[in-house]
Amino acid sequence: MSGILKTVDLKKYFKVGRNRFLHAVDGVNIEIAEGATLGVVGESGCGKSTLGRLVLGLLSATSGETYYDGVNIYSCGREEMASCRRNMQIIFQDPYSSLNPRMSVYELISEPLVMNRACENRKERLARVVELMETVGLAQRFINSYPHEMDGGRRQRIGVARALALKPQFIVCDEPVSALDVSIQAQILNLLMDMQEEMKLTYMFITHDLSVVKHISNEIVVMYLGQCVERAESKELFKNPKHPYTQALLSAIPQPIPGRFQRDKLLRGEVSDPIDPEPGCRFAKRCRHSMPKCSTGPIKLKEGGNKHFVACLLYD
Amino acid sequence: MPDHAAFLTPAAGAGLKLKKKSRAKEVWRRFKKNRTAMAGLFIFALIMLVVIFADMIVSHNTAISQKIRDRFISPGTQGHIFGTDNFGRDIMARIVHGSRNSLLVGLGAVACGIMIGGLLGAAAGFYGGITDSAIIRTMDTVMCIPLMLLVLSIVAALGASLVNVLIAMMIANVPHYTRIVRAAVLSVVGQDYIEAAKACGTPNSWIIIKHVIPNAIGPIIVQATTAVGIMIINAAGISFLGMGIQPPTPEWGAMLNEAKNYMINYPYTVIFPGLSIGLTALSLNLMGDGLRDALDPKLKD
Amino acid sequence: MENQGFNQPKNGQDTARAVLELRGLEAVYETDDGIVRAVNGINFSIAERETIGLVGETGAGKTTTALSILRLLPERTGRIPSGQILYKGQDLLKKSEDEMRLIRGACISMIFQDPMTALNPILTVGDQILESLEVHNAENRTHGELESRVDELLSLVGISPGRKKEYPHQFSGGMKQRIVIAIALACEPLLLIADEPTTALDVTIQAQVLVLMDELRDKLGTSMIMITHDLGVVANTCDKVAIMYAGEIVEYGSVHDIFENGTHHPYTTGLFQAIPNMKEDVRRLHPIEGLMPDPSDLPSGCKFHPRCPKRFDECNDGRPYLYERGGHRIFCNLFREGFDS
Repeated sequence: MSGILKTVDLKKYFKVGRNRFLHAVDGVNIEIAEGATLGVVGESGCGKSTLGRLVLGLLSATSGETYYDGVNIYSCGREEMASCRRNMQIIFQDPYSSLNPRMSVYELISEPLVMNRACENRKERLARVVELMETVGLAQRFINSYPHEMDGGRRQRIGVARALALKPQFIVCDEPVSALDVSIQAQILNLLMDMQEEMKLTYMFITHDLSVVKHISNEIVVMYLGQCVERAESKELFKNPKHPYTQALLSAIPQPIPGRFQRDKLLRGEVSDPIDPEPGCRFAKRCRHSMPKCSTGPIKLKEGGNKHFVACLLYD
Repeated sequence: MPDHAAFLTPAAGAGLKLKKKSRAKEVWRRFKKNRTAMAGLFIFALIMLVVIFADMIVSHNTAISQKIRDRFISPGTQGHIFGTDNFGRDIMARIVHGSRNSLLVGLGAVACGIMIGGLLGAAAGFYGGITDSAIIRTMDTVMCIPLMLLVLSIVAALGASLVNVLIAMMIANVPHYTRIVRAAVLSVVGQDYIEAAKACGTPNSWIIIKHVIPNAIGPIIVQATTAVGIMIINAAGISFLGMGIQPPTPEWGAMLNEAKNYMINYPYTVIFPGLSIGLTALSLNLMGDGLRDALDPKLKD
Repeated sequence: MENQGFNQPKNGQDTARAVLELRGLEAVYETDDGIVRAVNGINFSIAERETIGLVGETGAGKTTTALSILRLLPERTGRIPSGQILYKGQDLLKKSEDEMRLIRGACISMIFQDPMTALNPILTVGDQILESLEVHNAENRTHGELESRVDELLSLVGISPGRKKEYPHQFSGGMKQRIVIAIALACEPLLLIADEPTTALDVTIQAQVLVLMDELRDKLGTSMIMITHDLGVVANTCDKVAIMYAGEIVEYGSVHDIFENGTHHPYTTGLFQAIPNMKEDVRRLHPIEGLMPDPSDLPSGCKFHPRCPKRFDECNDGRPYLYERGGHRIFCNLFREGFDS
């Protein structure tokens, strides 16, 4: 099984002051097999969105590489980059700010087609837009509508149609459903899964919501402050969460079962900014199992069998 | 591609009409609905007619020939509808012929200022970083010099003439518009749809034209329309100092300046040129507001 | 004449100690496009120390209900054409604006969704808490007394009083929400309305804030209206639940009625099926087909019938049947007696 997308020790530091750096993504290695879905989970500030933009080449990396179909996207030529762009797309979180309010649905969906000269003439382009609208379940009567005339679910369908316009192979879904209502959320998730089956798409699914990612992912990566702390197949991760942070995340999700939170499992403190972080485990300050040796040196992801990787000294 | 062609069967394509071409029509339709904007357009159209047919309305000679005997004739008497000024020149003739010069200075300075300032501001806002710093610091430096002083020194260097006043005012305006456009662009650049466009391979130039400018244009239009009146007054100030339009060439601002000494006894000498400037500024302002609303699909109907 | 007995809570012990009672509340927005019917005749009551959860999706009228209670609907468009809002037996809709100002904050206070915008960025957090104390300082307490009350409040929500001289931007999102809670609780209101208090927060922080609110409620004896779209949050914090759809309460009951009992309104069932289940292993989700109706053009009959998988002709007009079993109320024709489905 060879990955269609692979990152090697990917790092992105943002300068936030004189000689101070925010380690948004710090040495992340991921690999996504063709046709699979990788879930990237973490709280705000963990670098998951930055990671998504890095693998698409929308941001340049501080160091490390991303290979798409064997091509290093940071050092390839313009031609190769253009073809990568065509094969890699993104669906944004907020269907309200990701659509230009002054463009009609037709203009929005046809933009990628025009820009990449994917259709020979207008008639063909119109046919393709209509086809795409049909695919994502948008009625044709909306073709001249503007985004503000539509609700969140329909807007997100436009976003999906745009992403699919160039027949990509790989799509980064950056929290595609977190701005939507529950019933609409399920519609969009089902749509994404149907699209994947039909077109053999590969997804990188970024979210803060473990319950959403459980359904759609084959493999899940849990991130904390720019680093990957745990990686496992979806079922394995939910059955047997190893890293104390993953455990805390799972127990913090309010379940629709009457009762009160288990107070003893609550995490202390809050997520801090990864600005010039100290060596060692970045979660140590909030961890109930933290030991003195947790803050001595870098902690590597180690496999504990069953393709289950965890970066924690508890499992050494 | 055959599969796409197959899609355009009458069933799929029937009843499907794209409004693509009618964008301008759509804007015009919404503009028409706005009564105040239409009033502005009407006044402005009248002013433009006067500009174009000035020579047919009254001869240029009437506007500049002086008859000291006929000083300060009240409006409506002896064939002078707006009366005469301190040199006995017919005020209406001067207003009709002054319209060309005044509008040229007002509209010209603002339009060129916006064009150059807009490009600089858009580049600064869109690219950020060093480009931004370089442009904005330069503009701030220029802004430090008082507007009048800057204009005067440029006119002094180039020589006194209408065209040179225009150039000077344009240069003096650029920093202002750079600032406004940059602020408007910055508010747009942070939006996700800019990134979405980048992700589907849209080149930067197209992003600026298609995504940034249409969304940033509202405040710029409003600023520009109010600025025209101010520009006419500023040009008058320069004429007053003897650096701008040379007498006896008629120009609204210059007329105001000449008349201000007689304002108490012969108020009509200031009222008519003042009214002309005011009406021009008002009409443009009403049109500007209407245009801003008409361009925004969110305010549709 | 409206709501002939529908939705009406059983009079008697249920309303005797009610802190707040809504009777047939309607709220509309008069916009240029027509009248938007945001809340269409809802009834519920909150007893002392009780938490009621208002659950629903965008446009269900949850926030409008909350704003109506505080009479904070936008002045130009919002109107309450009928209904009563009884706070300890007094109708808030008959109060003058000055009287309302004293009630807001001191008797009923509200927590908004976004802690980032609810705090003034140029005042220290201590000053902002102090401000709400000073506005309602009926007992003429001295400045020193108020200051010590600020310290007390900050430690109550788990922030060191030493930080009261800091500005909002120096706090993280969860901490800001704690400060907002401190301000809301400053005057020990009898009723706290929390409008999606944790939606903008991360999961682990959400859990902390919810536990804190729970503790404070027990300690101070405050009643609470919890507005949320998250069924999990409701299950973990509320005693009673009202499921709202298109400005109406379609189902009302205790948490056990809603989360454990098998009899439900089809909309409630749909909501539960739509949320990804952590326990079960199904790949496809079951969304509710269709969309929320346009509140300026509501369907006749049961508002949910165009989307309802179990609809039948009777649902098209008239009010749906009220099913009631021991405080559990469902508005649905499915439960009409003599009807076999």
